[in-house]
Amino acid sequence: MNADAQLMKHMMNPQNYGEIENSDATGIGKNPLNGEKVAIYLKVKEEDEPIIEDIKFQAIGCTTTIVAGSIITSEAKGVTFSRAEELISITLGMLDSVPPEDAACSEMVALALQASIDTYKARQRDSDFPMISYKISTDCTPKEEKQNA
Amino acid sequence: MHKLFQEVHELFLATQFTGFMSQTKSRESLYEYANIFFRHLTWLENDFIKREEDYTYNVNQIPIKVTQISDMYNNLIERINSIESKLEKCTDTNITFRMLSDLIYIKSSIQQLPQENVEGSFDTNREYPNVELTQEARDALTIFLFEETYKEYELIMVYNYSKANSSNAFLNRIFQILIDESFFHLRSFGQMMADMGILGVPRGLMEEIYKFDNLEQFLKDGIQEEIGAKEECKRLAEAVSSSSEYFASFFTFINNQENYHIALMEEALEHIR
Repeated sequence: MNADAQLMKHMMNPQNYGEIENSDATGIGKNPLNGEKVAIYLKVKEEDEPIIEDIKFQAIGCTTTIVAGSIITSEAKGVTFSRAEELISITLGMLDSVPPEDAACSEMVALALQASIDTYKARQRDSDFPMISYKISTDCTPKEEKQNA
Repeated sequence: MHKLFQEVHELFLATQFTGFMSQTKSRESLYEYANIFFRHLTWLENDFIKREEDYTYNVNQIPIKVTQISDMYNNLIERINSIESKLEKCTDTNITFRMLSDLIYIKSSIQQLPQENVEGSFDTNREYPNVELTQEARDALTIFLFEETYKEYELIMVYNYSKANSSNAFLNRIFQILIDESFFHLRSFGQMMADMGILGVPRGLMEEIYKFDNLEQFLKDGIQEEIGAKEECKRLAEAVSSSSEYFASFFTFINNQENYHIALMEEALEHIR
């Protein structure tokens, strides 16, 4: 299956889209410039280190955000928090090499995942800890539009 | 009652998108049944509102990738059976009597619909029948169809929620026109997705999209979005004009329809100020 076919698969049937009732933690990644946001819900299994037993996401955003959410949550399902944080780090490290509008979408999903993990950790110390929300730093305006502005 | 409401919503979507797969007269029947299921949804919704009970438009993802349309028909029948078993959760017997009668008839009618091979609705070939698309036009059209089928579904549900929760006749007339228009657009784009082999049911809506606090801001944002959609249609009409006169005129037609949506939203805005 080539890259196009993989993308089409996620566009036609996004994986892990929706909400987990009674989730253990939720985190938000948002774009303060246009109101787009991603929410990630986690169900966590406590072993030697926490494992993401189930993960879902919802988004107010474009198709690229949905594809990024589908891919990243598929990768994060069933892995330890350390592995998920590596995944976040790899995603954030690749942002410079993609167009800004795509980078902003991936950053929003990666930060939502980080926020959900951080919310979970904080709630182990304080069960009333509020849901964490992170803002993206990438401006999603395409380069051509910036030049024309 | 919440589970019943969600399942009726999912049945509406599953039926509507099965209609897009069909290349026969079954499509018209499935569209009509989707309309009926949407009306059921609004009646149940009104029951929540009368009882002052909060509700959501949450739905589960609806898998529709099949090779034979009978697989979807069996799925729709299973969904109907599940709904029938939950009808007692609604205490308004006028609604449930009517719903049950509709469901029994539609279930038997679906069983009579002919078999069709619908692999082409999901083969991702992104070719359009009798049209030569450049790679640029193909990519632009693909993204447009995914963005807009979601957007039209979102608009249907947002205007429906606003209408259901408002007793203002002036605004409700406008909301109903916008719902009808969005249904037409959803159906146009959904059929195109099936023709291009990229059919998929749009994702569910986050609650804050339809449960907004500020109608004025919502209308202002809506006008900006319609202007953006007009521009996108114009760009698409230009991108596909060399490939297809039909597509170019279709997107110009859709673009011009957006003008009236903007006028209606401006009218609504004026009314609430």
